[in-house]
Amino acid sequence: MKIHVCVKHVPDSAATITVMAGGRIDENITFLLNPYDENAVEEAVRIRERLPDTEIVALTVGGEDAACTLRSALAMGADRGILVAGDVFDSRRTARYLAAAIRRDGLPDLVLTGKLSIDAVGCQTMFRLGALLDMPVVNAATALTLEGRRVVAECEAAGGGRLVMETGLPCVAGAAKGLNAPRYPTFPDIVKARKKPVETIAAGELAIDAPAGGVEVLALEPAVQQRRGEVLEGSAREAVKALVQRLREVERVI
Amino acid sequence: MDNEYDAIIIGAGVIGCPIAFELAKKGYRTLSVDKLSDAGMGSTAASCAIVRAHYSTVDGVAMAYEGFKYWLDWENYLENVKDEKGLARYMNTGSILIKSKGHDWRKVKNNYDVVGVPYEEWSVEKINEMVPVYDLHEFWPVRRPEDPRFYDEPTGMLEGAIFCPEGGYMSDPMLSAHNIMRAAEARGSRFVFNAEVVEIRSENRRVTGITLKDGTRFDAPVVVNVAGPHSYKINQMAEGVWEGCNIKTQALRHEVMHCPSPPGYDYYNEGYHTSDGDIGCYYRPEVGNMFLIGSEDPECDPQVWVDPDEFYAGEGGPGRDNQLTESQWKAQCYRVAKRVPTLQVPNQPRGVCDLYDCSDDWIPLYDKSDLGGFYMAIGSSGNQYKNAPVAGAMMAELIDACQKGLDHDKEPLQFKLKYTGRSIDVGFFSRKREINTESSFSVNG
Amino acid sequence: MRRIGIVIETRDGDVTKNSLGAVSAARGPDHRLFALVADGQADTCAAKLASHGAHTVVDMHFDGDPPAAFDPVRLARGVAAATRGFRLDALVGLSSAAGREVLPRVAALLDAPLVMDCLEIRLADNTARKPLYSGKTVATVRLSGGTIMFGLRPNVYRPSASPVETDRVSFSVPADPDDRLRVLRVREPQSGAADLAEADIIISGGRGMGGPENYRLLEACARALGACVGASRVAVDSGWVPHTLQVGQTGNTVNPRLYIACGISGAVQHLAGMKTSGLIVAINRDPEAPMVKTADYAIIGDLFEIVPLLTRELQRSA
Repeated sequence: MKIHVCVKHVPDSAATITVMAGGRIDENITFLLNPYDENAVEEAVRIRERLPDTEIVALTVGGEDAACTLRSALAMGADRGILVAGDVFDSRRTARYLAAAIRRDGLPDLVLTGKLSIDAVGCQTMFRLGALLDMPVVNAATALTLEGRRVVAECEAAGGGRLVMETGLPCVAGAAKGLNAPRYPTFPDIVKARKKPVETIAAGELAIDAPAGGVEVLALEPAVQQRRGEVLEGSAREAVKALVQRLREVERVI
Repeated sequence: MDNEYDAIIIGAGVIGCPIAFELAKKGYRTLSVDKLSDAGMGSTAASCAIVRAHYSTVDGVAMAYEGFKYWLDWENYLENVKDEKGLARYMNTGSILIKSKGHDWRKVKNNYDVVGVPYEEWSVEKINEMVPVYDLHEFWPVRRPEDPRFYDEPTGMLEGAIFCPEGGYMSDPMLSAHNIMRAAEARGSRFVFNAEVVEIRSENRRVTGITLKDGTRFDAPVVVNVAGPHSYKINQMAEGVWEGCNIKTQALRHEVMHCPSPPGYDYYNEGYHTSDGDIGCYYRPEVGNMFLIGSEDPECDPQVWVDPDEFYAGEGGPGRDNQLTESQWKAQCYRVAKRVPTLQVPNQPRGVCDLYDCSDDWIPLYDKSDLGGFYMAIGSSGNQYKNAPVAGAMMAELIDACQKGLDHDKEPLQFKLKYTGRSIDVGFFSRKREINTESSFSVNG
Repeated sequence: MRRIGIVIETRDGDVTKNSLGAVSAARGPDHRLFALVADGQADTCAAKLASHGAHTVVDMHFDGDPPAAFDPVRLARGVAAATRGFRLDALVGLSSAAGREVLPRVAALLDAPLVMDCLEIRLADNTARKPLYSGKTVATVRLSGGTIMFGLRPNVYRPSASPVETDRVSFSVPADPDDRLRVLRVREPQSGAADLAEADIIISGGRGMGGPENYRLLEACARALGACVGASRVAVDSGWVPHTLQVGQTGNTVNPRLYIACGISGAVQHLAGMKTSGLIVAINRDPEAPMVKTADYAIIGDLFEIVPLLTRELQRSA
């Protein structure tokens, strides 16, 4: 069986984000493998444990720094890596690069990726991949069962429930956190990963039909973190009423 | 509001609080001031709070072993005071000192013999039996993951280890400082928080008091600098003090990692504090079944000296601010991952980044100063948490003796350790000393 | 004249408040709004949609019986077909659990640009504001190229009335012979802690909780809020709750939209784990507690009195 895992090189959720000119951020911070993509890599590894004759290829679109995220995926169990050297903000473009690289490498039985990336939170690349590769897509899977070519996925739905979907290989699956508990690399895994091959392809080498238009970042600003510091007065009942009113009407968080 | 005291202690961390406590026991009316909002919230809170005795000098070992006795007898030390936040707990894991090229363990062993610290010598087989998860190859010299030689196959085995059954850590250090504050308050000490010292007043070469940022003035004939990483700034405020020190202090940035224990290994309950000079790390169990991993400052690691105010404000950029760096995460975790081959290292750095108040030779300054009535308990260099209660008693005795006329520079105070019975020459910690070449020049002390 | 489609969500047969908010958000001087409704719900929804400005209510009909469960694949097909059929320039939907299943599928079918989790949209210049980088920044983005698509963050746009003359149109969605993907059924939510790191709302308890049995107060409030329960280190160290609930330096780092801290003093180690939360509420007896000083809103008092009142107020005003 062949599995392609699409991973993304993203800033650590705990990193300090400093906005620079031109709608960019200071990239001199910790970048790592997108946490949901960790679940995708782990799932591929678990499938291989059941079906030993399985090859796992990790792919990413990004700058040369993204190679270290591929190394993380290799250390977690992928066999080899493919880096498409190119820009990665627009999901339509990213999906085209990934699909072209996947076709160039040879279509797999399964494409796995995380349900979203924590930097852009676009939640859409896996669906675009499915359309480009002509494969059905199940997303936000918390359980994935393969029986021969039949695939049953339990996917996150409203209210904490699960949508149980059925499809067949080849397909694209987006991983949710609950899909598995990623096993991080041990030192022996890290040593082994250093020798695994990583191929770099310039984005220009892949013949993609560039999408018209797209999503352009016009401005970027820090999310304002000036705390209000308001103590709600009155009796407990009054203060609680005031709080709920603020949360609903003013802050709109509930 | 009363503004006159017998002694003012600057800093309510784990060393400042016992000094207030011990002075109060001697009848001093003490005031402790701290610029943060509660006891132990500064560098104390980030301390690994390790209790172990393997120091490179006899006095270092004696003091640490004495400190251990205090932590063991915590409730009594606190005079059974009640703390609404509960009491800190001493966790006795035992302490493994790996016999490595990174640590002059023979000196430590001699010191143990002199002081009378019980220990066992463990062979590699014995370590394997007690801690099956450790890989006992020799990985020396310490390298960084950026160096391709970091990944070279090890060839030899370690010699073994020295095991101290009496060692472990305190959970949690901030609470321990808070406990001591309550004990001091029960003896009449007063604590004022959100109080930043901006001036140290003196007259005729004697200290007269302090002034806070909001203008409040407090007067006392005794002022003690226990300001942790800010210690050098406080010393520079007091007339003649900074110039009179041959040993200076400055703030050193440090990162401590929290890495989950390997699956199936209950490190929290079964693991040992380990000082592993062979890989330049020390580690101990942490809440959540984690490995808490500190660095022993191997030569290949850059040392980052910072301004504490900038640091705590989050300024300085990556590698200088108070955020963990990926490169140090990998350095410390991968080093331990060599020793513990089943350790799984997450991609996301997790842990604590804070400061040591570091002296030129990594040995503290417990001393008077060239300004009458001004004392200092500084330069803890990341290795004095365990000595805090002893330091409190020792400083109180030093201060009292000097105030009553002792010329400590000429005739250094000899301090009797009440549990171990040894006497420490407090002159060992003198601000006037030459750099002590016996020191390990590291967190090992 | 811009032709804008709104992907309508219904619950128990009625249009949701958030969908009416989406309609309200899509209005503009030269906008013609098409409310896309599925599975025969148009009857019950039409009046409300009209009163909020929908010019056309599109009743999407599919061949065969309505599905046993919410079927995002089928819905997406319908919305994509309607977009083409009605020549829509833009689509507005919700970044809800359902929306995250439908809108990206539509975007993939249409190869259309899509921005999710929008805090604000301006159809006049095709821009939106949305969080980037784990909620620490807000980006202004412009969409172009084909039908542009926006997924609104729930609760940000409130419904506002603006009645118009509305027509109802039935739209037959062609059947898709490709049935490679089928929705089998819905499984009900199971108990078990959701991941704190993913929670949008967290209500946490600290030393003030006093003991393990009192966490059920927080659990009840969490249910009313749709929140996860967290804890400070003290509670974990005391054995009241498992370590997986711990928020802070030695626990989880979280970044929810709303963090409610009950009986938590706010030591540096705890703050380090949640200080980037969108909004912080402190419930504490001590007005000087660092958490109270850090919060956006604080109620000073006994959490055992306040938390149950909060739960009831949330339930009452839902």
